[in-house]
Amino acid sequence: MTLSVSDPTWYPIASSEDLPFRHVYAGQLLGRELAVWRADDGNVNVWENRCLHRGVRLSIGINEGGELKCQYHGWRYANRSAGCTYIPAHPADAPARRIQNRTYPVREAYGLIWSAANDEQAFRPFPGAEGHDWFALRPMPVNAAPEDVLAALAGLAPDDQPADLLPGLAVRFGGTYYFVQPVDACRAVIRGLLAEPPAEPVATLRHYNETLTKLRDRLERAARKKPAPEPLQPAFDKVSADLATMPDIAIPKGNTITVVVKRKWTSADGVIGFELAARTGHLPTFQPGAHIDIHLPNGMTRQYSITNGPGELMSYIIGVKAESASKGGSKVLVETVREGDLLSISEPRNNFPLRRDATRTVLIAGGIGITPLLSMARFLDKSSLPYELHYFTRAGETVAFRADLEALHGKVTFHTGVPRDEIGATIASALGQWSMAQHVYVCGPGPMLETVRETAAAQGWPEEAIHFEYFKNDKVIDNSSAFDVELARSAMTLHVPSGKTIMEVMRDAGLTVPSSCEQGACGTCLTTVIEGDVDHQDVYLNNSEKASNRCMMTCVSRAKSARLVLDI
Amino acid sequence: MITLYDFELSGNCYKLRLLMSILKLRYDIVPVDFYPGRQHKADWFLRLNPFGQLPVLKDDDLVLSDSGAILAYLARKYDETGLWFPDDPAVTAEVLRWHAVADDITSTASAARLALGFFYDFDVPKAQAGAHRIFRLMDEHLWFGEREGRDWLCSPAHPTTADIACFPYVMLSEEGGIGRQDYPALRRWTDRVRRIPGFTVMSGIFPAGQALEIA
Ligand code: FES
Repeated sequence: MTLSVSDPTWYPIASSEDLPFRHVYAGQLLGRELAVWRADDGNVNVWENRCLHRGVRLSIGINEGGELKCQYHGWRYANRSAGCTYIPAHPADAPARRIQNRTYPVREAYGLIWSAANDEQAFRPFPGAEGHDWFALRPMPVNAAPEDVLAALAGLAPDDQPADLLPGLAVRFGGTYYFVQPVDACRAVIRGLLAEPPAEPVATLRHYNETLTKLRDRLERAARKKPAPEPLQPAFDKVSADLATMPDIAIPKGNTITVVVKRKWTSADGVIGFELAARTGHLPTFQPGAHIDIHLPNGMTRQYSITNGPGELMSYIIGVKAESASKGGSKVLVETVREGDLLSISEPRNNFPLRRDATRTVLIAGGIGITPLLSMARFLDKSSLPYELHYFTRAGETVAFRADLEALHGKVTFHTGVPRDEIGATIASALGQWSMAQHVYVCGPGPMLETVRETAAAQGWPEEAIHFEYFKNDKVIDNSSAFDVELARSAMTLHVPSGKTIMEVMRDAGLTVPSSCEQGACGTCLTTVIEGDVDHQDVYLNNSEKASNRCMMTCVSRAKSARLVLDI
Repeated sequence: MITLYDFELSGNCYKLRLLMSILKLRYDIVPVDFYPGRQHKADWFLRLNPFGQLPVLKDDDLVLSDSGAILAYLARKYDETGLWFPDDPAVTAEVLRWHAVADDITSTASAARLALGFFYDFDVPKAQAGAHRIFRLMDEHLWFGEREGRDWLCSPAHPTTADIACFPYVMLSEEGGIGRQDYPALRRWTDRVRRIPGFTVMSGIFPAGQALEIA
């Protein structure tokens, strides 16, 4: 038999014991180098051993428990999806969507980690696998051709117990199984399994180790006398164009995903937790601070932040405020959606990117605004970065996600029932004076956001260091103006009458325009302005962005001039 | 007052920086341009150490050379816990045994690195094969150690100067073209060394991720 790089057979590539938490194991199968790591949730990842950024080996990366971080440049990839969650120094502090490392199929079974060169075959247990308490021997790497190693192993069988050759470079005699991992054309690892744990484990392991060491030395002596076979040459996917050139803003395609409401519970008075699980496999990679749109049974769409930590992709957990005043949106979720129901959600989007190069990060939450900040705190926690989380709740209101917050290692402070006139002073002391590389993130009711913005500015915090996310635009939109928009790329001029938004006019003209909140809060419809004087009415852009007159939201913004030229 | 005659990229000098960092010792550095300046063969340096080798450590008037010997000296003199070079005849023998292995690693893995990175005229394939021979033995020793509840090279339940002496040129072996893929237990041990409180880095040697705290 000759080895092939596209052989779809499942081979063992490591022992379970080779993968302690927070370690990255270096493996190889059929010429492909693998970075293999166990996440804190127990999941084993088998990835191509290269960081997509510069091709540095990921086996020298840092296993942070939910993400693997490249040692050299800080790119991070999430548990399960291998999706990139962070590109340092990227304009928006966030990667374009769907940058994903190459992954290989994986299964942990019988004390071994199994993988294959591709997904063509489903994993099948080896003959006789079931019903035993398998015990793995010390693996023995051998510099010899895998076929020769297999033949030599078969020769170990005692005369009265002939070796039984199994599919997938494996051999069995008695209760001993040997698997040959084809590392490359001239390298292999012998992985032995005993059907039951021996009475004296260490003595038994030493005995087998001695036998296999002798076998290895014999095989290597013979291999040195033969011409070495050509190493296998796996082809590697080229780095894609959108990796080499970073797009400014990734506009989501509007794909929806169906999820199951796995759990619904009361997290605090008036805050309902929902766990939304994938129907098969895992959900897409998300970044700290990201949200999803939920398409509600009544036809409405609402945004909710994902509270999960890094690499937790089996389900998203959100918190919904059950305000009695809520008209429609959250009310439907709280009142009519039950466990087991299916919901349609968007892919995660991030308008609230977290920098992970800050020397100090301050997170300030008010009420339900805790949700994106809980996710951020979890990411910072896993990376052992310093942060302070301040959570303001009104008197009488209970703290949502309390147990999750108490499990964090950072500094978490609960401010309950602080009188209105003292909130400013509390925020001021929480923030302190600004110095280089400090960032504050805030999410909560409008007045609180304003307080944080003003206080921070007064204490020397520059605009770029203050990050906030609005889910709602509370301002009354003035749509009385009338003007023309010229769409430079579409070569169209449209008239926007009073009472209609630019977005509506463009849609009437047959254009597809991405949007989400349609109230100038989410940033989805951000557009470049080429000419004209914008009447901003959104809460998404900060003051200097607004003053630059270079961008605007087509869902609420209008023109002060008679004409606007947009890059659409 | 401690003064270290130091070359930033030397693993043998790094051993001393590492132990002094772990023991929280303050010291001065006199940089010696080993490459390309070859200052370790200059007259002024040969007067300090006639063997013409880095590192050299001066503690007040005492001048010491050989990284293994200096590790033992620093631990005996400055480590109040007595853990790094334990005062027990059997353990001393064990530690010295691994100091000798560290020298073997230097003459193989480090030689290959010097040849590939610093244009020294050494037999690279021979040095690489020698390093693989040692790494195989270390991997086996450490693998059975894990089974027997031993995390470090020597028998005490904590690291000793033996771990520091062997660590740098194991970590830098890739620079000499010596992969560590076949030595998973050796790789796990390097994670443990990199998690020792007070651990410090050098070019090519990074810290490991935080260990998982089991609540
Ligand atoms: S659609 Fe959300 S800002 Fe315009």
